[in-house]
Amino acid sequence: MTGRGRASLMVTCLADLFFPEVGMAIVRLLRRLGVVVDVPPSQTCCGLPLFNSGYHAEAAAVARRTVALFKDSEHVVVPSGSCAWMIKHEYPGLLTETGLAREARDVAARTHEFSQFLVRVLGVTEFTSAVPGRVTYHDSCHLLRGLHESQSPRTLLDSLRGAEFVALPGADECCGFGGSFAVRLPEVSSQILAKKLANVEATGAGCLVACDAGCLMQMSGGLKRRKARMRALHLAELLDGSRP
Amino acid sequence: MTTKGEFLASIRAQMRTARDLFPASVAKRPEHPAAEADTIRRELAERWPAILERFRVEFERVGGVFYRVTSLDEVPAVVGRLAREREARGLVAWHAAALGADLAPALEARGLDVHEMPAGETAAAERERLRAITAGADVGLTGVDLAVAETGTLILVSGAGRPRSTSLLPPCHIAVFDRTALVESLGQVGVFLEAWHRDGAPPATGAVITFITGPSRTADIELTLTRGVHGPKEVHAIFVEQGIRG
Amino acid sequence: MSDGELAIPFRQRAGSALKDAFLQEALTIATTKFIDLRREAFEDFPEGEALRDRARAIKEATRQRLDHYLEALIANIERLGGHVHYAKTSEEARAIVVDIARRTGARMAVKSKSMATEEIHLNEALEHAGITPVETDLGEYIIQLAHERPSHIIAPAIHKTKGQVADLFGREFKRRVEADPEVLTKIARDELREKFLQADLGITGANFAVADTGTVVLVTNEGNGRMVTSLPRVHVAVMGVEKVVPSLTDLMVFLAILAKSATGQKLSVYTTLVRGPRRAEELEGPDEFHLVLLDNGRIAQLGGPLREALSCLRCGACLNVCPVYQQIGGHAYGYTYPGPIGILLTAMLEGPRSVRDLAHASSLCGACADACPVRIDIPRMLIALRREVDEKKIAPWVERVAFTLLARLLTRPALYRLAARSGRVLQRPFASEGTISRLPVFLNDWTRTRDLPAVAARTFQERWAAEQGRTQ
Repeated sequence: MTGRGRASLMVTCLADLFFPEVGMAIVRLLRRLGVVVDVPPSQTCCGLPLFNSGYHAEAAAVARRTVALFKDSEHVVVPSGSCAWMIKHEYPGLLTETGLAREARDVAARTHEFSQFLVRVLGVTEFTSAVPGRVTYHDSCHLLRGLHESQSPRTLLDSLRGAEFVALPGADECCGFGGSFAVRLPEVSSQILAKKLANVEATGAGCLVACDAGCLMQMSGGLKRRKARMRALHLAELLDGSRP
Repeated sequence: MTTKGEFLASIRAQMRTARDLFPASVAKRPEHPAAEADTIRRELAERWPAILERFRVEFERVGGVFYRVTSLDEVPAVVGRLAREREARGLVAWHAAALGADLAPALEARGLDVHEMPAGETAAAERERLRAITAGADVGLTGVDLAVAETGTLILVSGAGRPRSTSLLPPCHIAVFDRTALVESLGQVGVFLEAWHRDGAPPATGAVITFITGPSRTADIELTLTRGVHGPKEVHAIFVEQGIRG
Repeated sequence: MSDGELAIPFRQRAGSALKDAFLQEALTIATTKFIDLRREAFEDFPEGEALRDRARAIKEATRQRLDHYLEALIANIERLGGHVHYAKTSEEARAIVVDIARRTGARMAVKSKSMATEEIHLNEALEHAGITPVETDLGEYIIQLAHERPSHIIAPAIHKTKGQVADLFGREFKRRVEADPEVLTKIARDELREKFLQADLGITGANFAVADTGTVVLVTNEGNGRMVTSLPRVHVAVMGVEKVVPSLTDLMVFLAILAKSATGQKLSVYTTLVRGPRRAEELEGPDEFHLVLLDNGRIAQLGGPLREALSCLRCGACLNVCPVYQQIGGHAYGYTYPGPIGILLTAMLEGPRSVRDLAHASSLCGACADACPVRIDIPRMLIALRREVDEKKIAPWVERVAFTLLARLLTRPALYRLAARSGRVLQRPFASEGTISRLPVFLNDWTRTRDLPAVAARTFQERWAAEQGRTQ
């Protein structure tokens, strides 16, 4: 397979700590496609939780670190729409007054959410599903409205061999995670989740897919609590056909 | 109490420190709106059947009832029939000069009590009396200054002989118009409004211009649509093919 | 909302709303319907997106010369024989209106729906001055009888069932009333028709005021706006300064998108353009026309972080799509304006302390910004409010400490790794097969309703380092 360049994986704090298999799936998948993957060491977080709660000086400190870590990367691939949004949308503004302003803009330009990287950068869309049967897809808010990306995941899911993609009613409705919102207003967050899961279950799918670890934590947490058969997976896990 | 000077000064003080969010400009006003309105008129005159059809569709979509007659003398028959169906007797109407025609005799001949609104200045006591008559009337008959195809809207300007209440207080509003009132779009309405205010002659010189898009309605109770809350329960529009003014 | 009710924490008010079965059903029906109507209206309207961009630009351009446009508006209104008043605060606005009412000898005022008059709590002031305010918009009439505040910007009584309305009317008119919307509407029509004809004073808000011509614009559906501006001998319009638009041409841009965003209608049933008092040749119309220009925190935002919120057309579209509003309704927010834009307006009117909790009543999903006809970036400003709440130390100190610690953790990879290892240890009593179902005390906020994944036995970076043959 011809080389498809290099990519640095920014694994994200949630995937690093709670869903390491997502990171592994991305590495395997990209390598199979001929991408040389590296993982800059000592990653922590993109800083979004600090930013969203209004701690902008603190978020800027994290941004500075992240930019320094990735400033030499050809591409930065992120398994999370919200983290990719943070880097692309907010890093330049946060670091405007610092010596890293130009690097921040460069890193922002070279950062891609995972599905965007596959479809828009690599131009690869055909995969075999790791899970047979019906799959459905939830649009994470930052990917959909922040990065204006609803097409790439659907292109990948539509062309998926071995699985049937069914649309989720209200796919563009929030799952109720919202970061600290989920624990500041847990009752409201749970009720929003209940509405989402009712839609999800109505699809009859065996597998729910999303491109954001926060959404997956919320939706998978709800599905497990109700002992649902449906699994919630990151898109990378679904496309990485080597998993059982 | 805050004075105008103090109020504007506080705004200016803020504006001095404010940062613009992005470069922005207001809509471009037509420089010669009356001339542009005339051009619109001429252009529409060639396409009026299609525009009328679009008006009909939109008017009916918002709950209006549309009629088409060939000549003005057919209008009293339509009005008479509507009144009979509703067991209505009292009708208030715009003054003949405002309507563009004197329909009162023909309507009276059909058994309606017609009260034509006066055209000139009226004393307070007389205004009270007319208001009471209008409030008790079953039908209000008006003309139309603009009929907007895009939205099915009737635009009425208030003034001498064309009071606001005629199209507001009676439960049934009947409006008579011809092709000279037709416009296509809200954008064109804007041109006419600019013309009326800046360099053209408005249809009348009253203080209010009312856009009427269907009968009065509300969905405030459980989102159930009901008609005729405070304004008319029905709006009828009669299109006169051969025109109103002879 | 009263101070007593505001004393109940927001989270608790939200919790009560979640348990209110009537409210939950009403909210589902209403918000779903409004969303569908709005979507259909814009699907059918390809020019819509370009018009939204233009509307957004007109609002910003107006702000960039606000003094100029207000001066033109004032001059034109005065030229037409109207009077303009200037209210810096709610209190002043109330005093101005009460003063006009007293001076003109008004005993009863009919009101067309106006969020601005709700905002300044006008009705209480009128009542104290011995003037009876009568709300005539059906939804406002209902909540006036119920002694409640509106729960939605454009449909104030959507939280009420027809049964509840019938009970209200029954108690008011001392007879049994059928719970049928047609019947209830007819009762309101007859009752209020008398009031329109008798009232000395008509009070409205204004959706727009055209600087070029001195025109005040009301967008309504019921006809009460027309009645209130034509039948009483005095008309007072209360309007926020940000509602001025430069010209009639600008006005048409907003009219083209406002009703579509609010209810899916191409236009509301009545758009009323009022230029001053009755002309001599007219039969109806007020002898006196007054415009009360309202500041109440708006002017300060010209140079403030909420400047963009001044574009709001009060259409309510953001409420309908907000996952939080959909679940808790309007009253739980606690202030005049609910929903996403309501949080920003509350901060504008009442200061940052009032939104200490409300600023977080959002998952930042962005559906509001998508739905807003003038593309207000509400999430951006919610974050700015959160920042203000933190920087002014309005946020609870425990929270500020927690986030400061988090920041330290996220900038020191050794601490981050230590936290991961500690988490792994601390979770042992609670984790089973990679899942945590219950956590002690406040940490249970997540696990009460959702499982939590356990910290992985090896984090991704630990696995990666091992595979690279390095130690971390």
